Amino acid sequence: MGKVIVVTSGKGGVGKTTSTANLGTALALLGKTVVVVDADVGLRNLDIVMGLESRIVYTSMDVIEKQCELGKALVKDRRVDGLTLLAASQKNNKDDIQPEQMKAICDKLKASHDFVLIDSPAGIERGFINASAGADEAIIVTTPDVSAIRDADRIIGLLQHAGIEPINLVLNRFSPQLVGNGSMMDQEDVLDILNIDLIGIVPEDTGVITSTNRGIPLVYEDASPGSQAYMRIARRLTGQRIPIPDLEQKGFLSNIVNWFTRNR
Amino acid sequence: MNISIKQLFGRKPKSSNIAKQRLKLVITQDRLNVDDRFMTRLHHELAEVLAKYFEFSVNSVQMSLKQEGNSYVLVADIPYKKLHDLNARQ
Repeated sequence: MGKVIVVTSGKGGVGKTTSTANLGTALALLGKTVVVVDADVGLRNLDIVMGLESRIVYTSMDVIEKQCELGKALVKDRRVDGLTLLAASQKNNKDDIQPEQMKAICDKLKASHDFVLIDSPAGIERGFINASAGADEAIIVTTPDVSAIRDADRIIGLLQHAGIEPINLVLNRFSPQLVGNGSMMDQEDVLDILNIDLIGIVPEDTGVITSTNRGIPLVYEDASPGSQAYMRIARRLTGQRIPIPDLEQKGFLSNIVNWFTRNR
Repeated sequence: MNISIKQLFGRKPKSSNIAKQRLKLVITQDRLNVDDRFMTRLHHELAEVLAKYFEFSVNSVQMSLKQEGNSYVLVADIPYKKLHDLNARQ
């Protein structure tokens, strides 16, 4: 029996789909059986980010309407063993699916896979409720800016109310340079506000743009900092204990100033 | 003393610190479902009571909600000029 993890954020554009694609691929590269599920009915994108857009025949809507078996709707990713995608319908909208139907799909999938990752739509309405209906755990993706963090806090409250735990944080698009010069909140600031566990920090990486252009998740390229960050998060999801590296780049002077001003 | 060495050497407070302080305030209000109207009302009513005991300017009163660990704290900063002589009134 595997587990269902919803990847969500509240705010759009913080990297939910990119994180789902990369963590799903990374877990499969580690030998796990994984289904990534696009829960963004009407605005699907997980297929194109993963480079599987030309191979979608059936969607979760077809499974719910009993047009096809669940197993038949799973698109196999041929680049790695054990990875499949369940696409969202593009011609329906979020109200066409009930939370119980989504939960039934999740329950079936986790019986035969190690990990089921749900790519949630932005927002706190029906799409989010459907996406989290069958979830055992949650990953919150946020960027270190005020609007993303405020929205993340709102989502955390809703997930806690629904009894979903653990809720782990991925801090995305982190810039060591900006943190170093005081223009960006660091992980301690963000954790102090959100008060949940950090599962990883993904540094800003232009490789995300080119890998999305090509439809090849970043984790296939070993050297990229973003790829390494996602691989570490995937290992942590499998239960391995891997410390979170300190990505802050502190200059000599900044270290001295920090020494004098700590605890203030 | 609120001025840190960082602020003495740097020209402005770091924007990341400003972001954090603003977020903490707004998130506490979000979590408690408290809006500006509530805070304004609380401010006025508290000032009415306080005016019986202190001489102070209403506009100088600063009030905010903060989270400390798992509990919330109402912090009020009330600079006053002097205490009213309550005995004289009786």
